[in-house]
Amino acid sequence: MNKSVAAINDRIKRGDAVVVTAEEMVEIVRERGEVEAAKEVDVVATGTFGAMCSSGAWLNFGHADPPIKMQRLWLNDVEAYSGVAAVDAYIGATQLSETRGFEYGGGHVIEDLVRGQEIEVKAIAYGTDCYPRKELETTVTKDDLNQAVLCNPRNAYQRYVAATNSRDETIYTYMGTLLPNYGNVTYSGSGALSPLHNDPNYETIGVGTRIFLGGAQGYIFWEGTQHAPTKAMGTIMTIGDLKEMDARYIRGATIEGYGTSLYVGLGIPIPIINERVAKTTGISDEEIRTNLTDYGVPRRERPILREVTYAELKSGRVEVGGKEIPVSPLSSLKQAREIAGTLKKWIEDKKFFLTQTVEGLSTDQVFQPMRQITAAPVAKDLMTREVVTAKPSDSITSAAKIFSKQNFDHLPIVDEKGKLVGIVTSWDIAVAVGTGKRRLSEILTSKVIVASENEPIDAIARKLETHGISGVPVVSTGGELRGILTSEDISKLIGRRRR
Amino acid sequence: MTKKVLLKYSAEKAKKPILALIIKETGTLMNILHAKFDAEGGEILLAIDAPDAEAKRAIELFEQNGIETKELKRAIQLDEEKCFDCGACLSLCPTGALRLTDDYSIELDEDKCIYCEICVPSCPVRALEISKF
Ligand code: SF4
Ligand code: SF4
Repeated sequence: MNKSVAAINDRIKRGDAVVVTAEEMVEIVRERGEVEAAKEVDVVATGTFGAMCSSGAWLNFGHADPPIKMQRLWLNDVEAYSGVAAVDAYIGATQLSETRGFEYGGGHVIEDLVRGQEIEVKAIAYGTDCYPRKELETTVTKDDLNQAVLCNPRNAYQRYVAATNSRDETIYTYMGTLLPNYGNVTYSGSGALSPLHNDPNYETIGVGTRIFLGGAQGYIFWEGTQHAPTKAMGTIMTIGDLKEMDARYIRGATIEGYGTSLYVGLGIPIPIINERVAKTTGISDEEIRTNLTDYGVPRRERPILREVTYAELKSGRVEVGGKEIPVSPLSSLKQAREIAGTLKKWIEDKKFFLTQTVEGLSTDQVFQPMRQITAAPVAKDLMTREVVTAKPSDSITSAAKIFSKQNFDHLPIVDEKGKLVGIVTSWDIAVAVGTGKRRLSEILTSKVIVASENEPIDAIARKLETHGISGVPVVSTGGELRGILTSEDISKLIGRRRR
Repeated sequence: MTKKVLLKYSAEKAKKPILALIIKETGTLMNILHAKFDAEGGEILLAIDAPDAEAKRAIELFEQNGIETKELKRAIQLDEEKCFDCGACLSLCPTGALRLTDDYSIELDEDKCIYCEICVPSCPVRALEISKF
């Protein structure tokens, strides 16, 4: 059985198209099978509402008098890219305010524009014969702009990994706040409602597909950046008129310790043109799998702990290592549902018609890593391997002697197998004098911040900075002491890089 | 007015039925909002529903029994206009004061809140606020 998009549009016009949400479709396909479902249903409405960092807006301000060719531009103190002609600019969601930092960024500027609020505009220029002006300050609302177009390079990830954290400290990531020792799990995406997961073969979604975007009607105009359909990580580029959008579905956001972003509401109508598409729109949360990934490891390839389904994630608890861990969705399931419902209603009310794609999207594109011409150094490349150590049973006086002879103030304490068990500082020794304590085991600090041999230097530098320490012992995966790395070693390297 | 009191037990005190004894002795209504114990002792969050003088006397009794008490004089608000039910705060809440309802809305049960404040900065739209008075 095949249906054309034109025939479906005719039915919409006549008011007898059958439109269901992706969640309703799961039940229909489960009960009646895809053959019946394809006969019965014309359109499946999907929806998602999540942080989509790769978003932004093109704005055109019109010409000032005397005219200016904006070289650099700030909107509410957030810099926008104006290296395109004179008064065109792109405001990106993750650009931070120069005065308010993480509290306000490009995403918030976009939301404020949608809300119709006044935006402060500041620009500077070098001045030319045709554009003599060098400075400009004004305020605008969206009504003062010629165009305000939301134009997002990467939206609506088909699915995304789920995140947790193996480290013994809380970390702040674009996947939210991750508690220590696998204390919680976060995930993103709307599972069975996910727009791209309802047509993963791109039979109906392509260039020119009309969609719900931020509460208005927008379009898909290309595959998204990092589009990886073979890994079930497809993405789309989207575009739509910001002036028509609704701030309920376009929200600036602050992700703690990470930066700003933009929550975008997006829904794609899937025309049920055949049984294959009916089947893919019947996909349930139980069938959508993703990898639970350890964000405690700051590398490109992060370790995968296990596979989880969206059904488990949505249940609010996931099992890791025999423990039930609480889960946070980061995208709003409630709003995703609302968007699918709104899109369904628009179609039923004949306010939204489907489009035939102009061009398909790639189904075999792969997402390549960055080409790097120098390998990023790791701990073992820079650490000092010859380290003076002591045993827990050694006396405090012997350690005092070591400190007096050597020019350092951290003494790693290792057991007979070479395993790091703690650290003693010259300060600990000074304090211990006269307390009657004799052995290092009585004064050592066992909670030591360490680095692993293959940890990137950039990650270690960040560790030293956040903990306000000057060095870390480097240990093997088994916990044996392998060397020591100090901030001095790191600054030498950075000095070299800058040159 | 209901007073919220956080009781901190050492491992040794945790073995004794102090709470039961005090309820029996005073006859004051006390409700356990949240409790957490491990090998090193633990915490109980109590709501004491009694006139001021009576509540004060109960708190004194805990202190006399070697239990550290702390009255929580704060309030938490969830701004429903701002909240878009993303759930980022959910898994951070140690007591289940924040929870997801069947229709995927976020609900805040202030009774269970121990004002740890971890949820506040994690909210992407600043919908959670704790006020101190
Ligand atoms: S402050 Fe927030 S995270 Fe802490 S108990 Fe209260 S609601 Fe839960
Ligand atoms: S993090 Fe904020 S917006 Fe998200 S559910 Fe919690 S209170 Fe609502």
